[in-house]
Amino acid sequence: MKNEKEILKWLNNELSSKEIEDLKQSEDFETLEKIAHYASQLETPKVDAHAALEAFKARNHSKKKTKVRTLNFKTFYRVAAVLVVLLTSAYFLFYNNTKSFETQIAQTKTFTLPDNSEVILNSASKLTFNKKKWSDKRDLTLEGEAFFKVKKGQTFSVNTTAGVVKVLGTQFNVKERKNYFEVNCYEGLVSVTYNNETVKLPPGKTFRVINGTIENVEDFNTKNPSWIQQESSFNRIPLDQVIAELERQYDLKIKVEDVDTSKLFTGSFTHTNKEIALQAVTIPLKLSYKIEGKTVIFYNYDVK
Amino acid sequence: MSDENSKLCDENHFRDFYLKHVQSANNFAYYKCGDDETALDLVQDAFTKIWENCSKIDFSKVKTYLFTSINNLFLNNIKHQKVVLRYAKEAPNLDTNNQSPEYLFEEEEFKQKLTKAIASLSEVQREVFLLNRIDGKKYREIADLLDISQKTVEKRMSGALQLLKAQIENI
Repeated sequence: MKNEKEILKWLNNELSSKEIEDLKQSEDFETLEKIAHYASQLETPKVDAHAALEAFKARNHSKKKTKVRTLNFKTFYRVAAVLVVLLTSAYFLFYNNTKSFETQIAQTKTFTLPDNSEVILNSASKLTFNKKKWSDKRDLTLEGEAFFKVKKGQTFSVNTTAGVVKVLGTQFNVKERKNYFEVNCYEGLVSVTYNNETVKLPPGKTFRVINGTIENVEDFNTKNPSWIQQESSFNRIPLDQVIAELERQYDLKIKVEDVDTSKLFTGSFTHTNKEIALQAVTIPLKLSYKIEGKTVIFYNYDVK
Repeated sequence: MSDENSKLCDENHFRDFYLKHVQSANNFAYYKCGDDETALDLVQDAFTKIWENCSKIDFSKVKTYLFTSINNLFLNNIKHQKVVLRYAKEAPNLDTNNQSPEYLFEEEEFKQKLTKAIASLSEVQREVFLLNRIDGKKYREIADLLDISQKTVEKRMSGALQLLKAQIENI
């Protein structure tokens, strides 16, 4: 478009009448003049300002009420509860560093700890430890009986309800059962803390507590606990402990009829044959037994 | 300034502001949507926004705020449709002395072409062109209202002129 500047100025009323005359001489100006003229003749709807204001006020008053939004505590608590559940479960799922091993009745398990120490877990026993803290503290909790072959290193502690066993690097067996606590040292030196009293066990020595009293036990010279070879050995052990061990090795319930369960038993029974094992326990004690399903009854045949 | 702001919140002051600008605001809305009812709705909504935010608006910018609100409300809510404007009933011809039938007919035809051409302008061109032609606003004023530069206004104005001219000469 020619004379663009002038045309824009003209439409903005910035030209003098002389300049307008000059512009009018230019070609195509006629159309532009008509456009400019007729466009300004166009009509817009006239607003009755006062009526509009009244209408405005009317709608405005209804609008002016501030919306009150009550904080919905129910939803809030729901969300919070869900979050708590999620976070705690996530914590236990992803931050659980507690590792545990468990054996059922008539089952043994061998496994390796993070420092390559070896553990053999006897039946119906449970061992737990913290994986994350293992490198600082070799600390584990035992319920039941286990044999440890500990690699040399920092103190290795086994916590039981009866007492704490601490070693540096050795092989030892810990047996913690109801009213029974026994530690056997096979190699190295084991320290046993029982009732705030600490006893040092050299190889071949046994520390045994039955019903809260510490007992003297003869030395032994085996390399492993007998249960590793699928046999339970007893040296002057009350019959009820022997029965408890039988129940753990064979899935059994043993009842006694007129039998003194505090009788001491020395000997062993195998883990592989129930009949032989029952005989091995009953015959030396002059007892007899009968099997009724899963229940075994021990009785005194002298009586009959 | 806070004094002026509180003035806007004062009902009497707001009423003056409303009465003074409702027509030009309505024109502007009309250039955009081409429908009187919708235009007035847009205007009322925009005024409502100003009233609700009266304490937050810089008084020197309130006109710009009004036009910007209309523009935004329009963009948000209204479907684009053709804007066909009507002529005032007693619109005088350019040459009032010439009453020959041919001339009258020609001019009538021209006016038809012009409304069609204006309807085909882009929205931003149309609003600038009509604000200048109908409302007689200077480019500077339009620039302030739309919160754009005067250069942009001139560009849109000249674009509108060229398109209109081309369309009218083609038909």
